[in-house]
Amino acid sequence: MSHSTPPDCEPNSTSTLSEQPTVLVVRKHHFLVRWSHWLNVPILLGLILSGISIYWASPIYQHKPDPNSGNTDVAADIGIWICAHVPGQHHYSSPPDWIYNHMSLGPGMLALVLRLHWLCAYLFMLNGMVYVAGLVRGGGWRSLLPRGTDLFDALTMLRYYLGFFFAKLARRQWLHPVSNTKYNALQRAAYLSIPVAGLLSVATGWAIHKPMQLHWLAALIGGYNSARVWHFWLMWVYILFVVPHVILVFADGWNTLRSMIVGWSTRVERSEVVANEQ
Amino acid sequence: MNNEGKGDIPSTRVEPEVKPVSVKKPQSFFRERPLPAIERAPRVLRYQSRRDFLVFGAGALAALAGGGFLLPQDTLSRIGIRRSLDPPGKEWFLNKALRIDDDVAEVLYSGTRRVPTYTKSQITSLKNNYNGATPDPGYISGWKLTLEGLASGLSISLDIRNLLTRFSVHEQITRLVCVEGWSAIAWWTGLRFDDLLRAYPPMSQAKWASVESSVNLDASGNPDPYFMSLDLATARHPQTLLATHFNGQPLSVDHGAPLRLLVPVKLGLKNVKAITRITYLAEEPRDYWAERGYSHYDGI
Repeated sequence: MSHSTPPDCEPNSTSTLSEQPTVLVVRKHHFLVRWSHWLNVPILLGLILSGISIYWASPIYQHKPDPNSGNTDVAADIGIWICAHVPGQHHYSSPPDWIYNHMSLGPGMLALVLRLHWLCAYLFMLNGMVYVAGLVRGGGWRSLLPRGTDLFDALTMLRYYLGFFFAKLARRQWLHPVSNTKYNALQRAAYLSIPVAGLLSVATGWAIHKPMQLHWLAALIGGYNSARVWHFWLMWVYILFVVPHVILVFADGWNTLRSMIVGWSTRVERSEVVANEQ
Repeated sequence: MNNEGKGDIPSTRVEPEVKPVSVKKPQSFFRERPLPAIERAPRVLRYQSRRDFLVFGAGALAALAGGGFLLPQDTLSRIGIRRSLDPPGKEWFLNKALRIDDDVAEVLYSGTRRVPTYTKSQITSLKNNYNGATPDPGYISGWKLTLEGLASGLSISLDIRNLLTRFSVHEQITRLVCVEGWSAIAWWTGLRFDDLLRAYPPMSQAKWASVESSVNLDASGNPDPYFMSLDLATARHPQTLLATHFNGQPLSVDHGAPLRLLVPVKLGLKNVKAITRITYLAEEPRDYWAERGYSHYDGI
């Protein structure tokens, strides 16, 4: 451990702590990155829940009116199916609203949810700027850039994840692929996809919100209707990201979760190697 | 001697500083740097962790409180939180946020920027979106447009023949965008609002028009006059029409016969059907949908 300490370490700083042994930690996340990371939780939740409530007013996915109910909304069909087939939901009072009652702020409140959506959208844009400022000031953006070896490394990681449970069941040793970067290739792709999706969500959002003054923006995306479709599916990027993200951070352990709150990590292996080089 | 001395002195003093620079130089600007390692006493780390976790916990509580404050009553009662009254500041806060968005929309507006126009092959169907019942066509025969708040101080009444003979008509195929999210491309014909403003100038201090329809009905068919605020800057936009024809035919009752507002730079709810009165005002007038929680400005 001692060889990792820079040789020019000030002697006075070690003398004041002489009674206690020191711990070597690495600075992992800039504080602006940490703040914006956690602020994203309520903001994205607000955007998604209010967004699905807005979707209710004019669903993108519609079919010809149902001869019996007159329903045209695919999301309402799914709700009706759930109430018919999922145990415990048979007596649900309004099956067409099931999706909206369970996955949004609720149906029939467009004026209110539009205001909430815009409030959250402005906060999301501000928060995105805080995140980018944190990436720049902390130099963390370099860890998100794709590399030439990413495709091969991503396949190696996939093989690791796919084989993980089989290896556990067979009680075989299953080693995590060695990586000498902050993130492995899969992490890098996932962590980069979120700011990219954020940028696209903001762009498509403005294209829907101001289709006349910013009509060039809608035209870039393929028109007003296409911007709505993109805006809807971009929401799924966050949902599909969050699920494995939360599972993996708990699987990886306390040190990783804590580093997003306090900024430092006690995993210093890679820094040791680099400190040797210098 | 001199040369040697000059060479020696920096080499002994600056060496530790020069060395890392020579290591960094070949490194690409984009190449990932090692995470900076720091030595800390456990006591310091404990103190910092405690501080950061307290801030984090306070933030989480604040987010929960903010959610409880801002979320609709219906949503909260669905998840088991019952509260008889909405907090008093909630409406104020949400309206403030909405005003900011309106200000942004106003900054984005340009009186000279045209909205996209389309070809006849791109026309889509436009449903009758009367919020309540569609009025009985009986009103059309006696229909008159009343203008008030004019520079002349007079109240002017015009019938549809006056309007069609006095003003030149313009055609445009534009998109009408509803606040709900759907939109329709339609072919409209009518006179420019700007031409009406020139022919019957509003009083000098006027900044707003209140555009009303007295024939509007609520869902059960009772009279429910529709009133809408329109800033005069938008009224003067060259694509803001007082439309008389839809897809080449005189407006049907569904689409607001005999005269409706067509203002493509605003949401559909500003496109008042069957206009009966336009009043020019210095102050922003009431707005039907703003009173129901939507934006005032509605610029798109």
